[in-house]
Amino acid sequence: MRRAGLRTRVSAAFAVGALALSAGVTFVSYELISNTLFRERERAAVRATYFDAAAVNAGLGGSSPEVGELLQSLDIGADRYVLLQRGGQWYSRSAGPAASNAVPTALQEMAASGEAGAQRIRRDREAALVVAVPVQGDAVFYEIVSLAELERTLQLLALVLTAVAIMVSAGGAAVGWYVTRHALRPLAAVAEAASGIAEGDFDTRLDPDAEPDLARLTSSFNHMADELSRRLQRDRRFAADVSHELRSPLQTLAAAVSVLNRRRESLDERSAAAVGLIADEVARFQALVDDLLELARSDQPVHLEEADIGLLVARVLNSRNLPGDLLHTDPGTPVDWHVDRRRVEQALGNLLDNAVRYGGGPVAVRVGPGFLEVDDAGPGVPDEARATIFDRFVRGPSANARGGGDGTGLGLAIVAEHAAAHGGKASLGDRPGGGARFRIDLPMR
Amino acid sequence: MSAVLLIEDDDRIRLSLAMALEDEGYQTHAVPTAEEGLEMQRRQPADAVLVDLMLPGMDGFECIRQLRRTDDVPIIVVSARDDTHDIVAGLEAGADDYVVKPVAVKELAARLRALRRRGRSASATPAVTVLTFGDLEIRPEAGEVRLHGEPVAVTRTEFRLLCELAEHPGQVLSRQQLLSRVWEYEIGDERLVDVHVGRLRHKIEDSAGKPRHLVTVRGLGYKLQP
Repeated sequence: MRRAGLRTRVSAAFAVGALALSAGVTFVSYELISNTLFRERERAAVRATYFDAAAVNAGLGGSSPEVGELLQSLDIGADRYVLLQRGGQWYSRSAGPAASNAVPTALQEMAASGEAGAQRIRRDREAALVVAVPVQGDAVFYEIVSLAELERTLQLLALVLTAVAIMVSAGGAAVGWYVTRHALRPLAAVAEAASGIAEGDFDTRLDPDAEPDLARLTSSFNHMADELSRRLQRDRRFAADVSHELRSPLQTLAAAVSVLNRRRESLDERSAAAVGLIADEVARFQALVDDLLELARSDQPVHLEEADIGLLVARVLNSRNLPGDLLHTDPGTPVDWHVDRRRVEQALGNLLDNAVRYGGGPVAVRVGPGFLEVDDAGPGVPDEARATIFDRFVRGPSANARGGGDGTGLGLAIVAEHAAAHGGKASLGDRPGGGARFRIDLPMR
Repeated sequence: MSAVLLIEDDDRIRLSLAMALEDEGYQTHAVPTAEEGLEMQRRQPADAVLVDLMLPGMDGFECIRQLRRTDDVPIIVVSARDDTHDIVAGLEAGADDYVVKPVAVKELAARLRALRRRGRSASATPAVTVLTFGDLEIRPEAGEVRLHGEPVAVTRTEFRLLCELAEHPGQVLSRQQLLSRVWEYEIGDERLVDVHVGRLRHKIEDSAGKPRHLVTVRGLGYKLQP
């Protein structure tokens, strides 16, 4: 499983912390508020009950007390219910359902023993309080006070507090996300600079004053970039120097050999053969220097531009004196490709040269969406050679057998480098019916 | 037999190239410094100049600029330096083409022939055709360009490039088309075209930064319009 990102983790931690904190605060405050409210309500209920009980007590002291009327005369609200128990009989204000069931037995017993008391009960699935006050003549006055409204209030309070807790924890997550974005912003700058350097922009540096807390990172990053660009410059200068130092004597050789070559007829047989050998080797040396320098420069960024791929292939075929009808274009192939024209020309040219040299000549160049393929008429590439065929200084076996390898052994390596420079790749397959099929994939954009 | 001036400080290269060029049928004057080259060209003008860039004393860039002040002779840079900066600078100084050492003598001869071919076609029979693009007049047969009626001095390659575009008025020619028609390159360096277009604009436009006649068509190439 992939590990969650730093931002996600920090935000989650913030959210959990905020949730724990707000849940704690919510719980404590709910408990406090509900206890206080219940206590207040109970006290009020008990006080009211005593008041009513005093009235009932006075009423009962009369000559012929009519209990029902006595209860009717009490001034009670809708949420209170009064009962009187006298001599095992229950009296109430109305002939409604026997509310006496609601009075717990324990409370009855306690009241019967002459002690006042109160107990919380549930009646009709609503919270209520029963207060019992003994009055004269072994009677007990009960009052049932509905706590439904209080309970609803507390429910609403719980709902509000829960919502607040959730919001606080979401707020915590948001703060975490925001804070980490700020904390990680300097790192994003580092990442951007690093990818700029990877893409070849060696002037990219971080501003050392931008983030004092990251001064060490900034300075070591800049140091690394300096070092890298210095090394790269040294390498390039070296390649340029080598190039210059090799090219000058080669120019002399090439010119001098062409003078000799022109006079081969007037030379004796052995000298003419020797001149022929030198001329061939000079030509190969020339190609080798060009290829080596090409490889030395192949890490440089590609120079992308629009190029008509059909025309490009036609030009390369023409430059190799190959017939233009080798080109087959798959339907749906875009006309203009966004490529480094010079590199694609060279890669295709190298594949064609390769086919001529080792594969009995190219039989088709196929162009499709994002790829170029060169088929040859040779025997195909043996399995043991496939793994290394795109490596440097690897030559085809047919050339070895002939012993006259005039290639540099770098052609396919250059093809692979050019394909990779585009973000694509070079690969080798089999042509149906025998022969090798080299393929260059170039990402379409 | 046409004459070629070779300015090259490396003795061995100078000697061998001179011999090889003579084998190809060119009468070659080979000198080791830019100063001697300029003097030689003044005294005995050659039909084409081959010049190295790294020379003792006056360098190749300055040598090309001085030659260009008075001469529209085809100039080819023959240098061991192949970085973009040098190539563009050499062309901007006024060279017509740029080859990187080691160059095969046959290839060099082919380049010289291509440059001279267009030199000849430019100076043929007297003027008949006049191609007009607003205040710009081109007489292909006379080898003449006039802006606001005043003659403009262009090199042969610039003239050939201008004629190629003028013969297809309003039509976009790609860099590759121009490379093959003007320089006879099958696969060549498009910077040749770009630098020559830049040089031409300085001569035939009132403001080279805002060309009216020789305009770039993004992604396609160039066209000439009134």
